[in-house]
Amino acid sequence: MAAITIKDMSVSYNKGKTFVLDRLNLSIKDGEFCVFLGPSGCGKSTAMYSIAGLLEPYAGQIYFGDTLMTEMDKGKKKTFIPPQERNIAMVFQEYALYPNMTVRENMAFSLKTKKVPKEEIDRLVNEQAEKLELTPLLDRRIAQLSGGQRQRVALGRALVRSPQVFLLDEPLGNLDAKLRDQVRYELKKIQRELNITTVYVTHDQTEAMTMADHIVLLNGGNIMQEGTPNELYDHPANEFVAGFLGTPQINIFDCQVVEKDNGLVLDAGAFTLPVPADTVACLQPYVGGAVHLGIRPADMDLDPNGPITAHVDSIEPLGDAYLIYISLGEKLVVFKYAGEKAPAEEELHLSPNFAKLHLFDPATEARINA
Amino acid sequence: MQSNLTIERSKEAQAAQTVRIKPKWHKVVLHIVYYVVLIVFLVFYMLPFWGAVVSSFKSNTEATTSSPIALPQEWSMEGYSGALEKLKTPLLNSLVVTVFGAAGSVFLGSVCAYALSKWKFRLNNVLFIALVAATYLPFQAILIPLLKTVQSFGLYDNIWGVVMVHSIFGMPMCTTMMRGYYAEVPDALIKQAMIDGNGMWQIYRKIVVPNTKLATITTFVFQCTSIWNEMLFALVLTAQGESAMAPLATTVLQGFVGATGVEINQLMAGSMILALPMLVIYIFMGKYLISGQMSGAVTAS
Repeated sequence: MAAITIKDMSVSYNKGKTFVLDRLNLSIKDGEFCVFLGPSGCGKSTAMYSIAGLLEPYAGQIYFGDTLMTEMDKGKKKTFIPPQERNIAMVFQEYALYPNMTVRENMAFSLKTKKVPKEEIDRLVNEQAEKLELTPLLDRRIAQLSGGQRQRVALGRALVRSPQVFLLDEPLGNLDAKLRDQVRYELKKIQRELNITTVYVTHDQTEAMTMADHIVLLNGGNIMQEGTPNELYDHPANEFVAGFLGTPQINIFDCQVVEKDNGLVLDAGAFTLPVPADTVACLQPYVGGAVHLGIRPADMDLDPNGPITAHVDSIEPLGDAYLIYISLGEKLVVFKYAGEKAPAEEELHLSPNFAKLHLFDPATEARINA
Repeated sequence: MQSNLTIERSKEAQAAQTVRIKPKWHKVVLHIVYYVVLIVFLVFYMLPFWGAVVSSFKSNTEATTSSPIALPQEWSMEGYSGALEKLKTPLLNSLVVTVFGAAGSVFLGSVCAYALSKWKFRLNNVLFIALVAATYLPFQAILIPLLKTVQSFGLYDNIWGVVMVHSIFGMPMCTTMMRGYYAEVPDALIKQAMIDGNGMWQIYRKIVVPNTKLATITTFVFQCTSIWNEMLFALVLTAQGESAMAPLATTVLQGFVGATGVEINQLMAGSMILALPMLVIYIFMGKYLISGQMSGAVTAS
């Protein structure tokens, strides 16, 4: 088990002309469940492959604990421990189970390579198979397994060797929704029990929110924000983070900051909101200019005296709540209503939760309020 | 109601189709012409083979006097026993050269294909193009230097010299074929095996080869047929003594002039014996061969 430290790592596929990852700095604590989250092509898998040693970065260093694993300087190798010597385990999205071997042989493969005594291999494999309910499948061939079973074998194979770092590349991508929830829960439980430093790559924000101790949200080769799931959700550092986390997506309004009655007011055209006292100071530079206002669908509520008046467009029942699509001027806005019954009126009066407004700079998209 | 409708409609459609298929007279004539032409070609193609088969079962006197395509009046195995007697050594030599030559070229080709398809290194593509170009190299162009080289190794007129040459010259073809197969082995498997603690050659031995057995068999069979039928190297690299090879032995047979002239029945029986191994291989392995060449062709590009 080891912490992972990445210093100034850049990855380029064309010898430094363009960068897939640009001077990445990151530290993952020992035993932490860290999720690399981001849209396709953001560099999250690339970062993981670099940690695994399957890919040589262009520059930068990677440490496991205090041990230097990779050190590159403008494409030149200074230190590079090959993947087979890093004592890592990895689960690929396509599982990559060896088709020529049985489940047992798959799970024993890495231990055999390390020349672990046979009795020890048998003990470890049986123990891990027991935990993942794979015992009846041990002598089957991979072709005879279902998707979920293959997934468990891939996990079992990775866990059987007690690696110092555990890497998972979208391991739930090929599972159906129900199985995914179940495996997600199991995976988190196993990780907590074994306390192995884990890096998990996904583009699914639900997986990230539910499993992670530490989310690293990437976009275009840069870290947008890192922190606990709640930090990212409640205090998104920029508009990208706010939009990426949370379903349905956050509602963003273009607002003018206007001075009114010794205070400030946000004017979105279709409605105006008074600025809460604690945000007035940080909005001072924007007076007379524009800002982006973000309100999450669940951070609004019905209020007969609310400042927002909107026309109901359509209602989607979720069972425990309703998604109400309302039109505000030309904009279609989502409002998540947790009441028992859907409101019958055509016109709704809404009030946002003023403690949970998100304000962003329209030019830099960076967060303005604390 | 709905289903009734569809049934009716399909009946109508069927009727329409029957009408369309109904043969017109000029189409019938065309078909007859097709088949006549095909049968003529077939006879032309099969006649020599037929002649060889029937002649091989005749006695030498009958073979020289009767029509070459007539059935033997008296079935005789004389030709076969005589031919086997003379072909014993060449057949054995050919077998050794074929099996070891094919095995050698498949091994070399497989190693090259693995490196070229699964590992990125400098000049990777240049090497591959050079290998492909080598596949089209006319062997006649390099015969003299090759002969000199083999002689300098002291392997002239030695079947192991022929084995070596076949192993090396078969390699480009094997590489091209196997590269196609290896390209289909998922990269994730290779990466996984690396993470499981294996180096490049361990991955080759434990993962790539066991998962591409069919590729190995196909390429091996392909090499066997081409080496078995190959004459040029055998002609140039061996004297016609102890190390004579089977395909050349027909010329040996031809040289055999008995009291009544050339022993046609033995010559034909010998040809049959020589064709037999490859015939058997094609009958049992033909489908692998075809699928192998196809899949290599499509994925290697």
